[in-house]
Amino acid sequence: MSDQLVNILEGNTFVVSDDRGDIETSATDPTGLFSFDTRFLSRWVLTLNGQRLTALSTDDLQYFQARFFLVPGSGTVYVDSTLSVIREREVADGFHEELRILNHESKPVTLDVRIDAAADFADLFEVKDALEKKGSYHTSVSGQSLVLRYRRDTFARETWISATEKAAIDEQGLSFHVTVPPHGEWSTRLDVVAAAGAPAGEGESPIRIRGQIARHVRRDMARGLEKWLRHAPVVRCDWEAVERIYHRCMTDLAALRFSTLTMPGRSLPAAGLPWFMTMFGRDSIFTSLQALPFTAELAATTLKALAERQGTRIDDFRDEDPGRILHEMRYGELTAFEERPHSPYYGAADATMLWVVLLDEYERWTGDTKLVRDLERAARSALAWIDDYADLQGNGYVSYQRRNEQTGLENQCWKDSWDSISYRNGDLPGFPRATCELQGYAYDAKVRGARLARHVWKDESYAEHLEKQAADLKRRFNRDFWVADGEYFAVALDQDGRQVDSLTSNIGHLLWSGIVDKSKAKAIARHLLGPRLFSGWGVRTLAQGDARYNPIGYHVGTVWPFDNSFIAWGLRRYGFKEEAAAIVAGVMDAAEVFNGRLPEAFGGYDRRATRYPVQYPTACSPQAWSTGAPLLLLRAGLGLEPSGDNLIVDPALPEQFGELEILDVPGRWKRIDTVGRGRIDTERRTHAHENGHAGHTPANWPVVSKAK
Amino acid sequence: MTTTRARSAPAAADPISQFFDDLARPGHLATFESESATIRFDVPDDARAERWFITIHDGDVSVNHNRGPADVVMTIARPAAAQMVTGRLNAQAAMLRGLLTCEGSMAACMTFQRCLPGPPGSVGRVAPISSKTVMAKHEAGRKM
Repeated sequence: MSDQLVNILEGNTFVVSDDRGDIETSATDPTGLFSFDTRFLSRWVLTLNGQRLTALSTDDLQYFQARFFLVPGSGTVYVDSTLSVIREREVADGFHEELRILNHESKPVTLDVRIDAAADFADLFEVKDALEKKGSYHTSVSGQSLVLRYRRDTFARETWISATEKAAIDEQGLSFHVTVPPHGEWSTRLDVVAAAGAPAGEGESPIRIRGQIARHVRRDMARGLEKWLRHAPVVRCDWEAVERIYHRCMTDLAALRFSTLTMPGRSLPAAGLPWFMTMFGRDSIFTSLQALPFTAELAATTLKALAERQGTRIDDFRDEDPGRILHEMRYGELTAFEERPHSPYYGAADATMLWVVLLDEYERWTGDTKLVRDLERAARSALAWIDDYADLQGNGYVSYQRRNEQTGLENQCWKDSWDSISYRNGDLPGFPRATCELQGYAYDAKVRGARLARHVWKDESYAEHLEKQAADLKRRFNRDFWVADGEYFAVALDQDGRQVDSLTSNIGHLLWSGIVDKSKAKAIARHLLGPRLFSGWGVRTLAQGDARYNPIGYHVGTVWPFDNSFIAWGLRRYGFKEEAAAIVAGVMDAAEVFNGRLPEAFGGYDRRATRYPVQYPTACSPQAWSTGAPLLLLRAGLGLEPSGDNLIVDPALPEQFGELEILDVPGRWKRIDTVGRGRIDTERRTHAHENGHAGHTPANWPVVSKAK
Repeated sequence: MTTTRARSAPAAADPISQFFDDLARPGHLATFESESATIRFDVPDDARAERWFITIHDGDVSVNHNRGPADVVMTIARPAAAQMVTGRLNAQAAMLRGLLTCEGSMAACMTFQRCLPGPPGSVGRVAPISSKTVMAKHEAGRKM
C-alpha cells in the first residue's frame, strides 16, 4: 500500500485513495468514497493486463479534483514504460473519473483494462470502531451499470458504477478489452454515484441522496472557488510568508464549506477534512468568529443552520434540552437506527453561549440587524438555556454531565478527551464539571445578549436583567475560581464545588470573554506568557509541572493554534499588546513551517529544544479552526475592532511582519483598507533563554514537510 | 376547557390524531414564533389514509384536513408515525432510514419537527458522579 492519501470532496462527499488513485480499504487504512457518513466504495483498483500501476506523480488540482500519472508495473526503481495512464477525478454525488491510456509505441497495443469495485457501506463510526454490519449485501448488473447494494430494513444505500465505453460488467467490476493505436490514446469516463436505494426492491436508476432528501442546487465548484477568493480581502505583508499563509487559509476554508440540506447554495464551515465534514456547533462557530473580518457569510449561515436545529425538548439519549445548540450532526446507518445519538447530538456545554456571542459579533461587523431580529426567539431560548438547563448544580455556574452514558460525550467542552480536566496532582474530578471558560462564555453571552436586546430587540428591561446577571456572575466567578496560591483561575469547579486547580490555557479564553477582573488580568497574562504555559510557539493546553502534563498529550500539553488565536484576541481586549504580539509571532512562525496549513495541534516542547514545531498526529487536515487561526491572529495583530459604523485599527504587530495591509475589509462600513507596521520585538519571548541564537530568520529553519 | 371532537371515538385513542389535536389546541406556540410554514402530513394506509394540513404563521398554529399546496409534504406509514409523534422515533433518524419522506422545503420540515416530543422517560437529570468513581473507571479501562 502506498502511503500517500489524496482527499477530494464536495460537501460531505469525499474520496480518500492512495497515490495511484486506488482504494483498498483495510482496518488501518480507512480509504474509500464517502458520502453522508457512509462508505460507498471500499475497493476501486485499476489493473492493466492484471498488473497494478505505479504513481509517477499526483496532483491535487483543486480541493475537489485530483490527477494521477501512472505507469504499469510496480516496485521497480527504474521506469521505462511505453504506456502512460492518467486518471483524473472529480467529486460530485460520488465521483467521475476520466481514465486515459496513452501508447507511446509505433505499433498498436492490446490491453485488458480492469476496474475492481466493491462497497462495504460502513458508517464512519463503524470505520473507527470496526463494528459488524447488521444488514445484507446484494450486487447486480443493471443494463450498463454495476449496482452495489446494502439494505437493513428500510435503510438502503447503493453505489452505481458505469462507463462511457463498452465494458464487460460482472459483480466484481468492469473489464475493457481495448486496442490503443500507435502513438494514440484510449479513454473512458467512469461514473460512480452514491445513492439512497429505493425503499423496496430494486430501482432502475440511482436515487441521489440529496435529490431524495432535498432539491440540491449543484454549484459550479471551480467558479465558486475563484469567486470566493476574489471577494476576500487582499493581504499584503513585507513578511511574504503571511501572504502565503493567508492564501492557503482562504483556499482551505473554501474546501471546508458545507451546505446543509435546508439551505442549499449557502455554506458554513465543517469541522475538518475528511472525517469531520459535518456541522459541529462549536467548531463552526469558532471558525466563523475567526473568519469574520474576511467573510461574514459563514457566520450568517452557521447562525441560521444551528438555530433551525436548536433543541426543543428533553431527550436524554441526545443530551438535548430546549434552547441548546447542537454539537454534531451525522447521517450514517448508526445514526439512522438510533445506535448513535447524532441526529443531531447536543452534548456540548459551550456551543449555546458561543452561538449568542457569534450573533452579536456578527452584527457588530455587518450591521445586519434583520438577522438578529429573525433570530430573536432562538437567542432568547439560548440565553434561557444557561439559567434553566445548564446550571446542573444549582450554584449559578454552567456545568455539564452527559445523560447518555453509553455513547454520549464525557467532556462537553472543547477539551473533550478523557483526561483533559484534572487537578494539579493528576486526579480526575467527578461530574458535573463547571469548567472556567464556560463561565466566561456565559458572561459574554449575557453581556452581548443585553446589547442586542437594547439596540435591536428594543427590550430595555431584558437588557438590564441580563446585565445584572452578568455582573453577578463575574463577581462570584472572580471569587470562587481564583486559585489564590497560584494567582490564576482554576480550570473548573468539581461536583462538590471545589476548585480543580491545574493551570491551563483556558484562562486565556477568560480574557477573551471579559469576565476577568482588571486587577487579576496582569497575573493571567503573566502566566500565559510564562515558562510553564508558553513554549515559544504558543500557549500549552496544560502547564508544565502539573501532574498530567505531556508535551504530546492531546489536551494536556500540546499547543493548539485555534486556542492561541482566541488567547491573543483576549490579551488585546485587556490591553496586553506585547503579549498578544508574542503569540501572533509564535503561531505564525509555526504556520510558515507547516506551509500555511496549521495542524490541529503541535507538541508543547520548548521552542529552543526542538527548533521547529512537532506536529501532533491527527487524522484531519485541514482542520477548520486551525485554518481560521491565522485569520484571527491577523485581526489581533492589527487590533481590528468594530465601533459603531467605524473599524478601529490599533496595530500591535511583531517586528518580523514589517508592514501589513489588509485591504477591502468588509463590514458595515462597506469596504475599508487597514494597515499596520510591526514594531514589537517579540524575539525575547518567543526565543526565551536562547543564548547566542543568530537572528530570527525563518527561512533558515529546517522545514519538516509532514510529520507522521 | 371543553373540546369538541369532530371525529368518532376511535380517533381519540389514536396517538396521531391525539398529537394533532393537542398541537392545534393552544392556537399559538412559542417555539414557532418568527417561523412560517405550511406542512402536509400524509399517513397512507390501505384501510384509513389520513392527511393533516398544518399552517404555522409566526407562532400561530392551525391544523385541519384540507387539501392545498404546502411547503413540504411529509409521508410516513401509520406505525412509524405513531412512534414519531409520541417521541419513540426521532424524525431525522426516520428520514435517514427511509421511513419518513419529505418532498419540498427541508426548512419547513425542520420547523415542523420542533414540536415533536422527546422520548418518554427522558428526565433531564442524572445522579452526580464522584471523583473516586471516575478514577476507578479509568483505571479499570486501562487494565483492559
